[in-house]
Amino acid sequence: MAIDSDPNSPGAWSRVFGGMRKFFAEAGDISAFAIRFFREILFPPYEFREVIRQSYEIGYKSFSLVGITAFIIGLVLTLQSRPTLVEFGAEAWLPAMVGISIIREIGPVITALICAGKIGSGIGAELGSMRVTEQIDAMEVSGTNPFKYIVVSRMVATTVMVPVLVILGDTIALYGSFIAVKLKGAVSLKLFLSQVFESIDYGDVIPSIVKSVFFGFAIGLTGCFKGYYTKKGTAGVGRSANSAVVIGSLLIFIIDLIAVQITQFFGIF
Amino acid sequence: MAEKMKIKEHVESDEIISVSHLKIAFGSNRVLTDFNLGLRKGENVVVLGKSGCGKSVLIKCMVRLLAYDSGSLKVFGKEVQGLSQKELDSMRLRMGFLFQSSALYDSMTVRENLEFPLRRHHISSNKNEVNERVKETLENVGLYHAIDLMPSELSGGMRKRIGLARSLILKPEIMLYDEPTTGLDPITAREISNLMLRLQRTYNTSSIIISHDMHCARLTADRLAVINDGICYAEGTFNTLQASNDPFVKAFFN
Ligand SMILES: Nc1ncnc2c1ncn2[C@@H]1O[C@H](COP(=O)(O)OP(=O)(O)OP(=O)(O)O)[C@@H](O)[C@H]1O
Ligand SMILES: [Mg+2]
Repeated sequence: MAIDSDPNSPGAWSRVFGGMRKFFAEAGDISAFAIRFFREILFPPYEFREVIRQSYEIGYKSFSLVGITAFIIGLVLTLQSRPTLVEFGAEAWLPAMVGISIIREIGPVITALICAGKIGSGIGAELGSMRVTEQIDAMEVSGTNPFKYIVVSRMVATTVMVPVLVILGDTIALYGSFIAVKLKGAVSLKLFLSQVFESIDYGDVIPSIVKSVFFGFAIGLTGCFKGYYTKKGTAGVGRSANSAVVIGSLLIFIIDLIAVQITQFFGIF
Repeated sequence: MAEKMKIKEHVESDEIISVSHLKIAFGSNRVLTDFNLGLRKGENVVVLGKSGCGKSVLIKCMVRLLAYDSGSLKVFGKEVQGLSQKELDSMRLRMGFLFQSSALYDSMTVRENLEFPLRRHHISSNKNEVNERVKETLENVGLYHAIDLMPSELSGGMRKRIGLARSLILKPEIMLYDEPTTGLDPITAREISNLMLRLQRTYNTSSIIISHDMHCARLTADRLAVINDGICYAEGTFNTLQASNDPFVKAFFN
């Protein structure tokens, strides 16, 4: 910012360095925020009621969107993959292939991205407006630790609820896929499921759930971080919501990339 | 001069808030440079000053919402910046703070807003007692009928009064009011001023009142302090300041 507005700015390089410095400063601040979360979650008082309330809100608000998207993805993915498999005479592999891609990758990532859009921006905007209207300060003077009451409860809620939503999403996506298979030929749900689960084992399911836990944590972290440190009035609230989604989505892809490296390294696949 | 110093030292012992040589700056924006003020037990002090001179910043420092750079600020005889979190919480429990913007919790009803401080401090687990207390406090500000509304359904003046009720519900020993009557009609403003006076009389509450409302100041103030250029520019009773020849002080009384 300071560099941009300086008329004597020596140009592109300093702008690049300025941008990098800002990036690392932000990364440092987010890490400090995450560390504070772990410090605060360890010690009482615990805000159980608030955690339950937030989990319910988050799950309830996002379930229909996640459900509809998952159903369509499962359906479309199956319809799209079918011609290729038919060409190789491997139509029987359809449920297994679709099942693996949904559970390993598409289910968690799509659900997490939807949650980043819906939950992350919601948290960013909500905390942002609480900040600019001094509600967070008011909480602090009434003897409540606002970080615990507002931030920790929401981060715990996203960390718990995103994996739950992923499992529900996976289930619905598989059902969508079953409908697609059924459209093209008679198959019972039981047969479909037995074909899917023959090709899937714990090595697919567990890493995918663990990954979702990190996705949920990242969504809560970015939403809370951006909202909690909102500045500059109501315009800042919009900016916080926006950058919560952008950074949250980016983190999801980075975590996904790291997760695939780890699982391959340990030979789980 | 020496006489005056002596008097000041004598009264300092019963000062419940004492501010001396307080300095606060935000970057290059020097808000308070050398501010001195004392608040005695059971006293109402009204603080005047131009917009942006640091009135809100001053009282936010008293509850440690903002940090000061140097000088000393003692509440209940203890340096605010030296308190542990636990001590800070128990100090805040004895203080009420009315925000300039009311700062009601948007996601809660009026009733929940008022119950929040009671719940958080485990003041009472008895449902009837809590209800009774909420009712009594709301009646004090004349808004019992709004108990089940959301803050978004209230007018600006109503929000202010609910904010006031919320900060009064714990019956604090010190009240910090940030513009309690701004944006209210003269009748409600007078009611609020009377309420503030009544609290002082009944509970021996000490208050710092930031206000531009001279009617409110005349009614409530035992003493006034005028902030200018980061210092306590003038201090005295309503009548002495009103009679002042200083043009800056005079301007507030016209
Ligand atoms: N959190 C903050 N960060 C940076 N600067 C601040 C902050 N809070 C206040 N200021 C600055 O401090 C100065 C005093 O602000 P303050 O809110 O105390 O004014 P005020 O006297 O209450 O004015 P008003 O009567 O309009 O409410 C202003 O210049 C403001 O820009
Ligand atoms: Mg102010």
